[in-house]
Amino acid sequence: MSLSGLVLSIADNKQMLGLRYAEWATRAPSLEADIAAAAMGLDDLGHSRVLYGCLDPLGEDPRTANRETDPASLSALPYFDEPWSSWAHFVAANAILDTAFTVMVEACVNGKVEVLRHRLRKMLTEERYHFLHGRSWLRSGIEKGPLDEAWKQAIEWFGPPDGDTAGLHNEGKLSMGPVELKARLEERVETKAPAIRLDWNGWDPIRRRTRPGAVDDLTFGMLRGLEEKRFAPATTEKQA
Amino acid sequence: MAVKYKRVSGDAVEYAVFARKTRAEPLRQVGSVVAPDDDLAAAYARATYDEERWIEMAIVRKDHVIALWTPGES
Repeated sequence: MSLSGLVLSIADNKQMLGLRYAEWATRAPSLEADIAAAAMGLDDLGHSRVLYGCLDPLGEDPRTANRETDPASLSALPYFDEPWSSWAHFVAANAILDTAFTVMVEACVNGKVEVLRHRLRKMLTEERYHFLHGRSWLRSGIEKGPLDEAWKQAIEWFGPPDGDTAGLHNEGKLSMGPVELKARLEERVETKAPAIRLDWNGWDPIRRRTRPGAVDDLTFGMLRGLEEKRFAPATTEKQA
Repeated sequence: MAVKYKRVSGDAVEYAVFARKTRAEPLRQVGSVVAPDDDLAAAYARATYDEERWIEMAIVRKDHVIALWTPGES
């Protein structure tokens, strides 16, 4: 995968993370957590816009036309395929996946590609508050299932030891490869990743995930504006 | 005395949020948040009061404030 493919994957994941955060803006355990969910959602949606804007300057935009019609063309993780069913899912995503994306952004900012060095730096400042939020809730204790799943998908997303991110690290475009990214994530969340058996044979290097599937239809329709079109007047020309 | 709250994650306390827009003005209290620890209080304060272009924001646990006198005691 090229660097622009990786940037697209960060953008798609941040877009989905932002949407899933926003879904909890009236369902979190306290009013403050509701507001934080909304604010973090807005941040991540904004970050995805910045990242999409980097694709053209990188010289190669990997987005294909079927992104308008095929939910499986998005490069987001299985964790975001369906709305989260519990607060533990939120916290695991906030603490582990959000931080994993930040660690990758950090690798871009400290790499040698100028457009990423300049445009992504501000994200790291904003992400500090997502990290504090996730770490605090993680310390309060959550169920193991969502947490283990978030760890597994984060490590898969970093890529195989001899894969594309390792190559981009060797070229200096990323300051960290998969081994360093995982170590940095563990350092940031102050805990070791659980023992996970990874099978890279089924790993999709474009979508950076092993499990098949795609974002749910309702969310995809909303993303593409299809839900909005449902409510638009049938004869817009007459109204103009 | 600061109010203690029971929230989802243990005992939560109230934090006062201070901010300013320019170097020339002093920090002033813009509101408060309730959280069980400093990390979450910082995240909540930023999320709740970040609508304006502050150049500085700080939080203080309300029970760390030493009151010299309070309304009606002066």
